[in-house]
Amino acid sequence: MTAIKALRKNPLKSLLIFSSITIAVMAIFLISSVSQGVIGMYSKMINSDGDIIVTQKGISDTFFSNVDIGLIQKINELKHVSSSYAMIVGASPVGHIPIAGIYGTTANHFEHYKLLRGVYPKEGEVILGENLAKQFSTSNINIGNKKFEISGVYSSEIGFEEGGLVMNISDAGVLFNRSASMLFVSSSSPNEIESIAKKISDLSSEIEVKTTQNFVKEYNQFKIIENSSLVISTLAFAMGLMGIASVMSMIVNSRKEEFGIMRALGKSRFFIIKNLFFETLIMSISAYIFALLLSLGILALLPHIEMLQWYVNGTLSLSTALYVLASTIFMALLGSLLPAWIASKTDPILLINQGCA
Amino acid sequence: MIQASHVSHFYGAEQVLFDLSFEIKNGEFLFLSGESGSGKSTLLSILSTLLKPSSGELFIEGESVLEIKNIDYFRQSKIGFVFQFHYLINYLNVYENIALAALEDKKQNINKILEELGILELSSRYPNEISGGQRQRVALARALVNEPKIIFADEPTGSLDSKNSKIVYSLLAQAVQKGTTVVVASHDMQIENYATQIIRLKD
Ligand SMILES: Nc1ncnc2c1ncn2[C@@H]1O[C@H](COP(=O)(O)OP(=O)(O)O)[C@@H](O)[C@H]1O
Ligand SMILES: [Mg+2]
Repeated sequence: MTAIKALRKNPLKSLLIFSSITIAVMAIFLISSVSQGVIGMYSKMINSDGDIIVTQKGISDTFFSNVDIGLIQKINELKHVSSSYAMIVGASPVGHIPIAGIYGTTANHFEHYKLLRGVYPKEGEVILGENLAKQFSTSNINIGNKKFEISGVYSSEIGFEEGGLVMNISDAGVLFNRSASMLFVSSSSPNEIESIAKKISDLSSEIEVKTTQNFVKEYNQFKIIENSSLVISTLAFAMGLMGIASVMSMIVNSRKEEFGIMRALGKSRFFIIKNLFFETLIMSISAYIFALLLSLGILALLPHIEMLQWYVNGTLSLSTALYVLASTIFMALLGSLLPAWIASKTDPILLINQGCA
Repeated sequence: MIQASHVSHFYGAEQVLFDLSFEIKNGEFLFLSGESGSGKSTLLSILSTLLKPSSGELFIEGESVLEIKNIDYFRQSKIGFVFQFHYLINYLNVYENIALAALEDKKQNINKILEELGILELSSRYPNEISGGQRQRVALARALVNEPKIIFADEPTGSLDSKNSKIVYSLLAQAVQKGTTVVVASHDMQIENYATQIIRLKD
């Protein structure tokens, strides 16, 4: 087939198109999937327990939220509430590590962290996430200006949590000077979640009560990550696509002479466009597949990179992959077929002469 | 028969051809002569349908070129070209280059023509793997493959030494003997020996 011969006989040009498409597609994949991954992981952490989240009113960042832990008792007395727990989420230097996540929770939430060894912490004790534990061989650890005994090591599906540590909420309260960051409430009947939320919100004027689903949707920080990643990946995408289109049109322009010769030999415009169509298709699809595989490889490596403190996880959704595929092919075809179509209208001899120039 | 009627051509504001009218009869070996820059290539391109003249009309076998319905098929089946630079496609080998131009039912002629031009053994080489003279013979083979009524050649020997030039001329003369009309634009006066009609362009 002519298309493959053309690609094979011009390996340098082919490589140029191939690699520019590959890089563009990879940039799109990596940026969008890493940000999707970060959001996904965070929302999984919040979603994993509890149907309702209680935070301080008017505070956009949970790090600053302060809620009276005493509310737990009143919440537990409400109908259809099956369980509830409190949590303080903070970050602090831990031993020689400049910053690590600290999760203070009520004892009834400890089992969320799967013990690998040791026991759950009593007051004055902590358990370390698997990744953080690799950094310490001592039996105790300094957090802020306090010393804690290490009572065990846990694992978690959530990358954030493996890089942090867990302690009793009373200890975390002293450390971060608050009662609780958030309360999580679970219900036995899914239909009652809205009405429970309403009742909880009546308990105090200083709290904000949301279903977990709404919380994740509305949480400002997610919106910031989501929006900025949308902007960045859209830009990367647009640039990548423009790159693809401009490389293709450069290549087509450099082949005007060839098209002129073909027209002089009596080849139709359709013949030229058809061959170019297949060349472009072969090229962009194979570059896309290559970029997809490379990106998947990099995404699989990301969670193991120590520098990122295991925080960054990347997931690539099928819809993103298909969307990128469709737009890559579209832009490649637009970039090659449009100039070719315009060129093929020119008198053959002029096309040949332009090609020489 | 080719008939040019009041053909003029401009490139931008520069007029190159000035109201030319003439006829080329079938079976003629026409030599378009003139200095470099006198408009030979331009006229040849117009006569061969590769360029639309700024004004005037061209008739081939009595039909106005503007009214030819399928110009692609017309070019492929009725006309053969040889350019100064061979203009072979670099990613196709010798055989494929000729096959690209060949009509379906003429493909069987390819090897016979390659044989006649003495380049059969080069079939599977690429244009950059053969000499200039050989390339020009491949270009000639490509022009001959559809057994066209007319062959146009623009400086077909422009990049060849005199030995290879002679080969090309005698091959063109052979085509004329078989009844083909041949139109050659060149500043090389050697062709006068072969030509049956000469048109001289002046600056
Ligand atoms: N594509 C073009 N654009 C502008 N000027 C051209 C073009 N082709 C040829 N010319 C000009 O037209 C004149 C005739 O050119 P050409 O037909 O190539 O002459 P010849 O083949 O006799 O050397 C020259 O002055 C040349 O510079
Ligand atoms: Mg010329």
